[in-house]
Amino acid sequence: MRTALCVVGVVLATTFIVAAGATTMRYTTVIKEISVLFNGQVMVVSSGTIVIQAVPIGGGMLPQNLTDSKVRSIVGVEKTVPILFLTPIGIGGALQAVPVNFSIGIPVDSWSFIIGPTPLKGDGGHFPSNASSSEVVAGASLADEHGWTVGTKIVVNGYQLEVVGILDTKLALLNRCVLMSLELAQKVYNYPESVNVITAKPSQGYSEKGLADMIEGNVTYVNALTEDERNDMIQPVLSQMETWNLGLEAAIFLLSLILVMTVTTMSVSERRRDFATLDAIGAPLSYVLKIVIVEASLIGVLSGALGLVSGSLGALILASVFTNIPLTQFFPSIFEIVPPLYMVEMFLSVVLVCCLGGAVPAVNAARTRIAEVLRAEY
Amino acid sequence: MKVRTEGLTRTFRVGSSEIAAVDRVDLEINEPDFIAIVGRSGSGKSTLLNLIGLNDRPTSGKIFIDDADASQLSSSQRRNTRLFRMGFVFQTFNLFPILNALENVELPMALAGKPRGLQSERATSLLKAVGLDKRLHHRPKQLSMGEMQRVAVARAMANNPEVIIADEPTGELDSGTAFEIITLLHDINRKDRKTVIIATHDEKIVALADAVYAIHDGKMKIQN
Repeated sequence: MRTALCVVGVVLATTFIVAAGATTMRYTTVIKEISVLFNGQVMVVSSGTIVIQAVPIGGGMLPQNLTDSKVRSIVGVEKTVPILFLTPIGIGGALQAVPVNFSIGIPVDSWSFIIGPTPLKGDGGHFPSNASSSEVVAGASLADEHGWTVGTKIVVNGYQLEVVGILDTKLALLNRCVLMSLELAQKVYNYPESVNVITAKPSQGYSEKGLADMIEGNVTYVNALTEDERNDMIQPVLSQMETWNLGLEAAIFLLSLILVMTVTTMSVSERRRDFATLDAIGAPLSYVLKIVIVEASLIGVLSGALGLVSGSLGALILASVFTNIPLTQFFPSIFEIVPPLYMVEMFLSVVLVCCLGGAVPAVNAARTRIAEVLRAEY
Repeated sequence: MKVRTEGLTRTFRVGSSEIAAVDRVDLEINEPDFIAIVGRSGSGKSTLLNLIGLNDRPTSGKIFIDDADASQLSSSQRRNTRLFRMGFVFQTFNLFPILNALENVELPMALAGKPRGLQSERATSLLKAVGLDKRLHHRPKQLSMGEMQRVAVARAMANNPEVIIADEPTGELDSGTAFEIITLLHDINRKDRKTVIIATHDEKIVALADAVYAIHDGKMKIQN
């Protein structure tokens, strides 16, 4: 009964660590991978806009033609792409803890420049080829959630759009976005001739930093952020999250260790006579140590396995709660949310913690002498 | 195995005073003696057996095993001496409750690194010799007290030791069962030529002993 309660305690601890750890890890991974989006480019946004990696939050719109021509005229700019980057897109309308839906409007001739060589799922799909068409491409996760396929008609802000392709990508942001031509996005979201991001690619021989300085010097109402600057803005937050997570893990592991140590100590003290008898009949110290440590590690193996299952489920539930995406949609991607390597790491950590918890009682068991036990009994 | 002690003393501190549980004891046990150590409860019998059985270290004095000073042995050498050269029988049997009779007897052989097949074969034969061939797979809880003590005797014989040290082996048994155990130990002494040292106040054991040492307040009083 006592051992069962100890197992329950360690299972709960493991569940919490795995669920919280995997959620934090997934969140930071998603944030970090967004930086891939405008890799090697200067991101120009209006002053006052907060940028998380590549996602502009708040701030004002930029007059598209004026700003684009001003930026393009700066020596050292090879190419510019005006983008309308919006979140949320308004499907579902429920309150979300983290932004999970994005609309991105990009000029039709710049798809590959922004999203790279991202393929489309299956046959029959294509990227919108005409700036004035109502064709859109959707991320796979968003499409799965709403049951969209190629040819599905969707209505956004009163406009009927046609899904002409499903993006086949691992990138969380693209998985949750609707891509369309810039002109269509401006029409649907009612931002005529406006964008909130302009990316500028430096010409050969020009550094991102130098170009960003020149842009800010020439266009007074914008901020020009290099990739490093964008990373630097979010990096302290991510580091702090990871530190908190590590601290939490350490505290919970410490509590588990104390729990296992207490239960094993009680178990050893109840069996002092057995350990003393083992010593009397000549059992090596290592044999007694092994018995207790194996018992403690079995608690770890059982608790670790059960804790991993419940913790992984917990991570999926948290992901669903934070994003309002149905739980079932996360099941196929469980190993992306709780990576196998993380599972192995957590399992081994739990077993190690339990072994350590058994170490002190094991030493006490090995030190039990028959003479002491008999003296205490008589 | 020949055991000799010289001025063997073991004291314990109780509060501020020091009590000598064994006080300057000299004795000599030859092979294959059947020795009884008698005395009232608390007289120091068990402490003396623990010292002779290398389960405790003397405060002063020496124990010689085959004329070698046992106080010079390391913990590991003492452990090996207990494992390979001595067998122990306790008043309260001290069987391992999660192991059945066969496994309890196999354990010392497993600790000694004997092959699995040999362990099983010898344990079965020893349990047969003590009349428990039909109780091999019973756990201690399923055995009577007499049967448990028989298993303990078989376990003590597992590694074919030179000496059996028994601490009040009949203390928990009724007179009939006690007689069976005494007979068993006496047979082991006579037939297998093992030295048997028993702490007891059982008159029947005293009557069978080659030598009787009486201990009172830690001091050896009478020697027959």
